[in-house]
Amino acid sequence: MNNTKKALTIISLFPVIIFILFLLPGISLAGKKIKITDPASIVVIVNRDSNDIAFMDIKTNKIIGNVFLGKNVNPHMAMMSKDGRWVVTGGTRSNKAYIIDVATLTLVKEIPVGFAPEHLAFSPDGRYYYQGSPDNDSVSVIDMVSMTEIKRIPGFAEPLNITFTFDGSKAYVGNYGAHWVGVIDVTRHELLKKIYVGEVPQIASLDPERYLGEIKGVSNVSISNDGRYLYAADGDLGIVSVIDSREDKVIKQIRVGADPWRAYMSHDGNYAVVANNGDETISIIDLQKNKVVATLEAGPDMVGVNFAAGKAFVISSSSGFLYVYDMTSLTSAGRIKIGKNLQIETATTDTADEKIYLASSTDHSVYIIDGKTEDITRVANVGLYPWGTHILDSKDNYCH
Amino acid sequence: MKSVRLAITLALLCVVPALTLAQEEKQTKVEKNDGLEQRVIELEQRVIELETTTVLSDPETRIKRIEVFVDAEGVEHDTQVSGSKRRVTYQRERVYRRQTINEKISEAMEDAANRNVKVNVDAAIIIQNAQQARGNDKKADGNFYQLASTDLYFTAGLAQYTLFFADIVGLSGTPPDDEIDGLTLANGYSARLVQQNDLSLREAWLMTELWDQKLSLVIGRVDLTNYFDANAAANDETSQFLSDALVNNPALGLSENGAGMTVVYDPKKSFSFRMGYQQSTSVASNLSDSLFLLLEAGYQFNPFHMGEGNYRAWYRKDNTENDASAYGISIDQKLAAGITLFARYGSAENVISNNRDKYYSTGLQFTGGLGLYPEDTFGIGYAYADPATVEKEKLLEGYYNLAMTEKLRLTFSLAYLQERRGNSTTDAYVIPGMRLQASF
Repeated sequence: MNNTKKALTIISLFPVIIFILFLLPGISLAGKKIKITDPASIVVIVNRDSNDIAFMDIKTNKIIGNVFLGKNVNPHMAMMSKDGRWVVTGGTRSNKAYIIDVATLTLVKEIPVGFAPEHLAFSPDGRYYYQGSPDNDSVSVIDMVSMTEIKRIPGFAEPLNITFTFDGSKAYVGNYGAHWVGVIDVTRHELLKKIYVGEVPQIASLDPERYLGEIKGVSNVSISNDGRYLYAADGDLGIVSVIDSREDKVIKQIRVGADPWRAYMSHDGNYAVVANNGDETISIIDLQKNKVVATLEAGPDMVGVNFAAGKAFVISSSSGFLYVYDMTSLTSAGRIKIGKNLQIETATTDTADEKIYLASSTDHSVYIIDGKTEDITRVANVGLYPWGTHILDSKDNYCH
Repeated sequence: MKSVRLAITLALLCVVPALTLAQEEKQTKVEKNDGLEQRVIELEQRVIELETTTVLSDPETRIKRIEVFVDAEGVEHDTQVSGSKRRVTYQRERVYRRQTINEKISEAMEDAANRNVKVNVDAAIIIQNAQQARGNDKKADGNFYQLASTDLYFTAGLAQYTLFFADIVGLSGTPPDDEIDGLTLANGYSARLVQQNDLSLREAWLMTELWDQKLSLVIGRVDLTNYFDANAAANDETSQFLSDALVNNPALGLSENGAGMTVVYDPKKSFSFRMGYQQSTSVASNLSDSLFLLLEAGYQFNPFHMGEGNYRAWYRKDNTENDASAYGISIDQKLAAGITLFARYGSAENVISNNRDKYYSTGLQFTGGLGLYPEDTFGIGYAYADPATVEKEKLLEGYYNLAMTEKLRLTFSLAYLQERRGNSTTDAYVIPGMRLQASF
């Protein structure tokens, strides 16, 4: 009888023990000071050379704190989970993914992933974090509940950006080392399909070096506001292929300028701006007609496009200029000189579509550009070599 | 019973050591396996580390241009303090970024290339044939013409936003223009060049950019047609129409390149402004007597969102021949993606007549995958020269530019040229041509 009692006691205590075990990480974090109460009020800054993620208050433009990831980690891109609880990043030179608790600014987990991780995305429900490793041709699936890599999906060719459908059933992966888009079945975490975006011109046989020397395929798949269509720019082919997400088929190829980097969707969903680095132009695509409605002069080494106050701001990395376009008249609207001898990187736009937060790597700064007045405010010393910025729920969260 | 117990005890005594031995053996095996597994893990880790560390992982030292604040005592501050002045200085810093050897080599090569003088070559061979369709002047009828042209471009960065550019051109062969003797050139390659079968300095200038690079100053030996009367669809004999009437407006009246200067104000908005002058003839003894002055205003807009359009109006003054002046417009308007309509009009004073010389041209250019291959371009254009004299010229030209490789293009051209001569006779020619163009 006593033995039976003992056994029952152990059985009844078991869930309590398990519960306590689950609470342990929480208890360990509870000891930490809460530094951020509103995740929507901060700008996340990826500092490549100081190997940390910095957190800047949007109202005061002050750095609240930063999370050091380790020497020679070289984070590439950061993203906040939809609930604002976590920030994740991939360390390109440490081959690890990092999970940071936003409230306490604490590094809670390091997870080994594929070689040289770069771009990443959260599934819409926040359950999974997909980390691409272009040099490993794989995408790591990290379960945010167990905080482990539950699968590494192979078979890509230099996977760069990952785009989830709004219902979270599929993820589209741009392969910069090929001319196809990978479709991942998110329920099984498997590469379901390869969508061939376009044909290499037959005349290429006269110029084999052009296509064999270096490949510039698909860097990103951009999704329309209604989630129905995807726009994949292919650098070598000079096209943007429109994919119907219902059938996963290319329904149209839109010829743009030379060496398009990617399509950036305007916030109203009417236009896509494509940065053509080959001929230093932008192509503006009318998304209703799927036609180019303007091809305008831009600058060298374009790495991003942000939208604010009815304008498009195109980042020309090596020139230190933002090229500005009026999205109503679809004409050039000047350019903003950020500074001399600067290399500017990517930017994010606040949720009010008013201000742009631009990372400037060579002077370790973030520049805040008022979309309406085009006034510039510099926030210096945010960390070494800031590579990108991120704001929760911004429509312009991207990397390069 | 006792004996049975004894036997069992003995058996157990024998079996237990055996079992213990077996257990120990198993334990050893498990330990060995664990050891091997651990070893495999360690080796895997080593491989990962090797892969990761096949890079330069030492901290990198870089020199940065920084702004500091120096107070009256000469103490440097990172932020502005009372009485401090902003100063620019340079400082070394260490960064922990790994770069692969490939990245490092590429960076070094790019850096070296940026410091060197860049040389580009643009070489072309143009073969044309003239078939007389009308008229009695049979000088050109049935003749073939070949012109080889090579441009060597030199570019060097001298200072921030300042570069030097030189274009040395060598022309060899004969264009059909010596025999056709039209109002404009049937081969635009020889335009504004005095010497042929010789090396010529087409351009050599210094350019600097001011005011946040909104203002460009170009000074040296310039070709003003590179800055004025531009047109997206009809402005380049190397890739578009061959005939000079569809490259530049004849009303510009610029016969050769010369020493001069150009100022371009381009804020990258809808409006841009240009002003330039140059010595209009190389035989003039001073600049004051041979001043060729050009002004231009440009406007870009996107009517009905059908595509961008560029509208330019220019005015020129030339003091070499009784202060002759001229004005003109140059328009290119996208009608749809890949289809551009162009038009030019020019009106120039005629020094021997009260009437003005008038020039018109128009046409279409097709790009953006409308041809056989994605990078092919083709176009059709018409030009009409109506000078104050009895001479008139009509030109209809079509071309197809086949992009064979990134560096090699082959163009087929067909022109119909009609010349009304001073003696009121009319000659007409059909001029098929071919242009092989290499740019690298």
